[in-house]
Amino acid sequence: MNEKEDFMRRLATGLRGMPADTVSDILQDYEGHFDEGRKAGRSDADIARHLGDPARLARELRAEAGIRRWEDERSMAAALGAILGLLGLVALDVLIVAPVLIIVLVIVFCLALIALCTDLIGLIGLPLALLNILPLSDGTWLQNVLLSLGTLGAGISGSAFCALFLIGLTNLISRYARAHFRLISPGSPLSGGVSS
Amino acid sequence: MAEPNLVQFRKGVLELCVLALLEHADAYGYEIANRLADAIDMGEGTIYPLMRRMQKEKVVVTYLVESPSGPPRKYYRLTEEGRQNLSRQKAAWTGFTRAVNAVLDAGQDGTS
Repeated sequence: MNEKEDFMRRLATGLRGMPADTVSDILQDYEGHFDEGRKAGRSDADIARHLGDPARLARELRAEAGIRRWEDERSMAAALGAILGLLGLVALDVLIVAPVLIIVLVIVFCLALIALCTDLIGLIGLPLALLNILPLSDGTWLQNVLLSLGTLGAGISGSAFCALFLIGLTNLISRYARAHFRLISPGSPLSGGVSS
Repeated sequence: MAEPNLVQFRKGVLELCVLALLEHADAYGYEIANRLADAIDMGEGTIYPLMRRMQKEKVVVTYLVESPSGPPRKYYRLTEEGRQNLSRQKAAWTGFTRAVNAVLDAGQDGTS
């Protein structure tokens, strides 16, 4: 198989899922690089070897795109995108951080779920309490109203806490990842090894 | 294989080198990759993710120029912000290396 085709195919595979125009932009950059290299009299094999591992290049491009979207949008989807993109890098680069990060994310997710349920209970309970038909409670009208208001408040603050935590975490990891992106050394996808 | 610290170090310097290269003349991707990869010994492919990031940060802008043979070339030009970045980073680099050199020289004097 031709080395150029092999490189381009592996790069394209690594970029799958990114916006189509971004992908074609990136592919064009490398396509042009091969063209220029050929003109300079280099072989495809030599050019590909000096470019580095395409799968790794794709991971860096993805992670960078994820971080940038997060910096632009600050939405929940962007945060998850950035974290997922970083996990692709992290899984290779910082084997120690990855499991910890996954555990933390699972815990935050569970807490957010609990907070959301609390929200819902308070939200459903409040109108029922106001109409004095709250089930499973033998308190007075005032007690029931305050109880459901309290539940609602606790739920909201819980959700807010989870959101703030996630934002902080994403910012922190973004900074960390940028500082630790490793250069692609020609021909060796794992150069540099795992640093502390 | 390079030492991890050295790899980190080169990577940090890469952006400064690209800025400095573009200060004198606009250049296209292959040119930048070819010149810098030789100079600081790193994978040529790394240039393109870096150029994309610098483009998004509006440090450089791109334009196409017809090539005598083959498809048009994508040239990179420094923006005003890019020039400011360069002078900032250059000053930081010069100050840093001067301080390090002073320490290294002092160490040499001590042992010799």
